[in-house]
Amino acid sequence: MSDPGLLAQAVAAIKPLGLNYAFLLDLGERQAFLRGLVVTLELCLLTIPCSLAAGVGMAAALTSGRGWLALPARAFVEVTRNTPTLVQLYCAFLVLNMLITRQLEGVGGNPLTPFVWVVIVVAVHKGAFHAEALRAGIEAVPQVTLEAARSLGFSQRQLLWRVELPLAVRFALPSLVNNLVDLVKMTAVASAIAVGDVTYESIMIWTQRDNVLELLLLILLYFGALTWLVSRAGSWLEGRLRMPGYGQ
Amino acid sequence: MANDAAVSALAVRAVSARRFGTRFSLRRHPWSVALAAVLAVLGTWVATGTTPVALVFLWQWTPALLWGLLTNIEISVLAMALGTLAGLVVGALSLSPVRALRVLTRWYVQFFRNAPVLVLIYFTTYVFPFELHIVRWTVPFPDWIKVVLGLALPTSAVVAEIFRGAIQSIPSAQWEAAQSLAFRRTEIFRLIVLPQCLRRMLPPWMNLYASITMSTALASLVGAHDVVDTAQIASNTVARTDFTVLVYFTLLGVFFAYCYPIARATRALERRHARH
Repeated sequence: MSDPGLLAQAVAAIKPLGLNYAFLLDLGERQAFLRGLVVTLELCLLTIPCSLAAGVGMAAALTSGRGWLALPARAFVEVTRNTPTLVQLYCAFLVLNMLITRQLEGVGGNPLTPFVWVVIVVAVHKGAFHAEALRAGIEAVPQVTLEAARSLGFSQRQLLWRVELPLAVRFALPSLVNNLVDLVKMTAVASAIAVGDVTYESIMIWTQRDNVLELLLLILLYFGALTWLVSRAGSWLEGRLRMPGYGQ
Repeated sequence: MANDAAVSALAVRAVSARRFGTRFSLRRHPWSVALAAVLAVLGTWVATGTTPVALVFLWQWTPALLWGLLTNIEISVLAMALGTLAGLVVGALSLSPVRALRVLTRWYVQFFRNAPVLVLIYFTTYVFPFELHIVRWTVPFPDWIKVVLGLALPTSAVVAEIFRGAIQSIPSAQWEAAQSLAFRRTEIFRLIVLPQCLRRMLPPWMNLYASITMSTALASLVGAHDVVDTAQIASNTVARTDFTVLVYFTLLGVFFAYCYPIARATRALERRHARH
């Protein structure tokens, strides 16, 4: 890729197929596109752990058995699952961000960038889905196992971290991986608030040149590769965590 | 004696029912109480002329927002109808005995399930022309129809998967048993397999509809005048902080009010089928 001669040859070779990838020969546009690829990757790598943490937190609240904790968590999860991510992003970025900026006007300005807002919103959105998957997993943990652990003197927190979660994670893993694949696809919504991810950089390029199809094919290939990697990692983890006696 | 006891128990129940019926309890009628409270607040505002300005603006913009919502609903219903038809065809092909067809449909499903919906919407918006030339007529090809196509693609892939899963979830013993009872292949499909499949397909299909409805919000990014676009225009036109907060959270509420009942119904159906 770095050798311009080779790149020019490749672009010329594809041109007869009706696909014009000449933008790759322009240094500025090539760098913008590569930057977009990196930003999307960064978004995914940051959002995945954040969403899992949010999911564990919400699942703990949902299954805590305390009304004042479980009810707000249930309401939050239902609202998050039943409203569009784009509207949530607008509520966060156009409303909350505006209010925060106004509050912090005197004291050094708002530290939250659009990138951070995308990470927060997508992480919380998918966290709600993780929480539901984990809750189902937690409920699938046999009562007898919990009673055995309790009789061995496990505290409520130890019970959660050492018995319930390890089992629940194994039960919930297929849905969690599914959610993470969705999460990777969802990061494309970042382009709506001008975060320079691969979709946004491509829009910038195709408004200059008329090469929408070529760029969209590249984007779809990239997302295909990312989602494939996530599902591969998921099935590796499933194999790794498999316990004798559970599953196949 | 036993009869007497039963009669007096009935009487007690009737009396207690009447007592609870006449006393209006908050616990029994939470929605009526909430509605009465909202009406009371609104009535006071209108009577004293102290309605918050943001709410007056929201009331003025309500028809435009509802009109936008109608676009979203149209898009979702059309995309779902198209996607379901295409998905059933693809799903049926993925069960065909011809290997090449199975591989081809596998690729189709994988490709469109793993593509971000937003990218597919951009794809259909920019790749299709803005008007069509059919012989000598020029038919406009508006953005919202392109969004319908963009949403129908992933829908068809998911419906194909739902259909394939449902057909394969029917034990093959049923096919064999029906064959031994001298049913023809089309009869087995129509009378035995399909009725069970429809029932199994309904909950995931409803889930898909809710998710497609939520994806219609993306239509605003490619210039379709949907409810999100209307809310943005309203927020920019009115240009008041309190109205901006109100209109975006109203938007959230509108989508929730449309999608949450579907989610509830889906869960109720799943629970009912789990018992069978």
